[in-house]
Amino acid sequence: MAEVIPSIFSIPLHFTRPPSVHDELTTQTSVAQQDTIAECLPFLTSAEDASQSPFDFNEHGVPRLDRQGHIDFLHGSLREFPAAFVAVDASRPWMVYWALMGLYLLGEDVTCYRERVIKTFAPMQNASGGFGGGHGQYSHLAGTYAVVLSLALVGGERAYSLIDRENMWKWLGRLKKANGGFEVCEGGEVDVRGAYCAMVIIVLLNLPFELPSPIHTKVGTLSTFQQGLEDYLAKCQTLEGGISGGPGNEAHGAYAFCAIACLCLMNEPQIALRSLDLPSLLSWLSSRQYAPEGGFAGRTNKLVDGCYSHWVGGCWPLIEGFLYGPRTALNRPTDRMLRSLYSNEGLTRYILSCCQARTGGLRDKPSKSADSYHTCYTLAGLSSVQHVHFYVHQDASISSSTHPFRWRSLPLCDLVSSSAAGVYDKQDTLQPLHPLFVIPHDAAQRLRNWSEGQSTGWTVIDQT
Amino acid sequence: MAYNHHPSYSDNPLWSDITPIPLDEGPGPGPALASIAYSPRYSTAMSYLRAVMASNEYSERALSLTGDVISMNPAHYTVWLYRAKIIREMGKEIHEELAWLEGVSRKSLKNYQIWHHRQTLMSSLPSPPATEAEFLTKILSLDSKNYHVWTYRQWLVSHFNLFDSPTELAAVETLLREDVRNNSAWNHRWFLCFGKDELESGQRAKGGGGVVVVVDEDLVDREVAFAQDKILLAPQNQSPWNYLRGLYRKAGRSLADLRSFAEQFAATQGGHDDDDDDDDDNDDEHEAAPVEREREREQELDLEEGVRSSHALDLLADIYAAIGEREKARKVLEVLGRRWDPVRKGYWDYKAGLLLDDEDEDEEKKEEEEKGIKAVPEGGQGVAVA
Ligand SMILES: [Zn+2]
Ligand SMILES: [Zn+2]
Repeated sequence: MAEVIPSIFSIPLHFTRPPSVHDELTTQTSVAQQDTIAECLPFLTSAEDASQSPFDFNEHGVPRLDRQGHIDFLHGSLREFPAAFVAVDASRPWMVYWALMGLYLLGEDVTCYRERVIKTFAPMQNASGGFGGGHGQYSHLAGTYAVVLSLALVGGERAYSLIDRENMWKWLGRLKKANGGFEVCEGGEVDVRGAYCAMVIIVLLNLPFELPSPIHTKVGTLSTFQQGLEDYLAKCQTLEGGISGGPGNEAHGAYAFCAIACLCLMNEPQIALRSLDLPSLLSWLSSRQYAPEGGFAGRTNKLVDGCYSHWVGGCWPLIEGFLYGPRTALNRPTDRMLRSLYSNEGLTRYILSCCQARTGGLRDKPSKSADSYHTCYTLAGLSSVQHVHFYVHQDASISSSTHPFRWRSLPLCDLVSSSAAGVYDKQDTLQPLHPLFVIPHDAAQRLRNWSEGQSTGWTVIDQT
Repeated sequence: MAYNHHPSYSDNPLWSDITPIPLDEGPGPGPALASIAYSPRYSTAMSYLRAVMASNEYSERALSLTGDVISMNPAHYTVWLYRAKIIREMGKEIHEELAWLEGVSRKSLKNYQIWHHRQTLMSSLPSPPATEAEFLTKILSLDSKNYHVWTYRQWLVSHFNLFDSPTELAAVETLLREDVRNNSAWNHRWFLCFGKDELESGQRAKGGGGVVVVVDEDLVDREVAFAQDKILLAPQNQSPWNYLRGLYRKAGRSLADLRSFAEQFAATQGGHDDDDDDDDDNDDEHEAAPVEREREREQELDLEEGVRSSHALDLLADIYAAIGEREKARKVLEVLGRRWDPVRKGYWDYKAGLLLDDEDEDEEKKEEEEKGIKAVPEGGQGVAVA
């Protein structure tokens, strides 16, 4: 390696060169990994590149957040797409959610989209409960999750009351399976994503935990949405310690988030993960972060990707909640909670150096183009490194005492010196998000409050 | 079939009894969000689809219409589910549908609906077609880590009880010969060995004083030897290390048995002989190596220059902690965070903190956290650990 000219920027060496340990054996996986390192290194070290303007970087050699570029990109993603985008025809609720969520994180007021959000989703609701990916499409948990979160984001009585809660409850009842999991739609696959989306909907809409009609299984009767779910999710922990989409499948970052968040929706964080083997989960989760890239990969021996900044990054605050327990004080985290189990610095470097597209929006990695999915979840990851999330016992400032609403977050740069907070500039701090619902805390709380004022007196029917 | 080429609906007598349902973009002013300027052909097909779906029509023409929509947008889950209903209601020939599906599968590999549809079709057959393994091999040769294909394959194995199928194990071995870093193949190997029990009894690779798991010790020996062989090929490949640890956790074996195996990857390069004393993958060696041999190895350890695998160090830290050599464990974790895997320093420091807890009984708070999983009664609500 050539001598490095002393730089005015302080980039730790392990983010500037390939890893210290390297095997000679070449396979498809190692070639892809080498290529990714080669692709990322120029972006990670571009502050040291004499042809770049040093004013484009902060003192840590990290590029600034192109806030306006990303805002423009996301507003653009809510306009009309050309015919070639037909593949997203069943994912329009997602397109809306990703854009609104990204805009909120960037500090934009998204309530101006309220009427158009209501208009867009109204034809997607089915009389038999739930929302499809578009008009005339079967109700699907993923689409319904995105619809409910988008309505929460824009807020207001008119948005909330679009949802037919009673038929939502009945539809969710038809998706609950004897193994404890949920189908994503009637006749669709059963996976961990379905369980997470269902629990988010149930909790935000304050739906009864009782099933609309009990499920009689070989081993007994399920009468609530939660029954069997903890066991089902525990069965998804794999030989590696990570969590898969279903029992027997490979551990995967996105499913790990869904499973861990689902468990934390069912129980307070300090007991929520009791059914998992924690040492192997921690080992696997920690292994998702690579250097020099700094970002997270979704699976063992796969490549880093910006969207795992949320899927993997979002697991950490929940695990820390499990390890450190609730705060008895009203709102102050402890010193220990300020020390992260993963490298905040690495993730920040990856996001700001490698994931920002020149034309706005964020991306998987430098060779990929930006899209609203990666913009939303990469920004969510950045927000997560910039905040400390913690769980409180009681808080007089909240009306609801239901445990998923007792998560708090504070910007790190308000708690410690800005150099200790991380390698981003204070003005590049994003809005905080609720670690379970992945929307703002108050947006979740308001929808829940509204739902608590609605009827839940629906009849349970046993047809046997 | 007349309606297979450039199907037209509006001027086709076959469809004249249907009143298409146009796309509803919602009430009120302003354009809908994230709308799509659909091609006229797609718009028309979709409006006929909405109409036949609304009347639950299960017919030849409806089947053909779903094929037309899928050809334009294979990511449309509703069309796939409706198609599956038509096949079932009409009692269509499953093999014909599979033949049609094969063409679609090649064109859109990443599409998961295809694999769920295939699963739906297969579940109505008494046994999978003889060509299924070959088909999957072909598909995986194009994308060897495709999550949906592997998920489907695991469903297939469990549904038709193919856990002991030599074809399945051979397919995994081929993939690992081609790329020993293919973690999906490692996961499938585990599934073939232990998946049946794990699915039936709900036993996972969870160890640490929990439920005693009955395992086939010979099978575990075979797999330990397999993983160790693969580690020797490329010691920095994490997949076989995870596999090895999974085996030890599952069988409740002591990690201390792996000490000499792991130490060879943290020793001075010239200081040991690969072919000689490091052959711990021998099937009959369950016990730890003799004490003298261990001492020799200690001398050879070189954490600064001799490290060929950070995963070996990770394992060694756990081994030293397990046998009470906390100072050595701490040294290993320190060098991991400083030199061999610095991006994970926060985790290595956390593990070093757990070592302190073991020593210092006074730090009761952390102690409780570690045991928190078991200390809290089942179904307990709102019990604070701290
Ligand atoms: Zn991605
Ligand atoms: Zn043995």
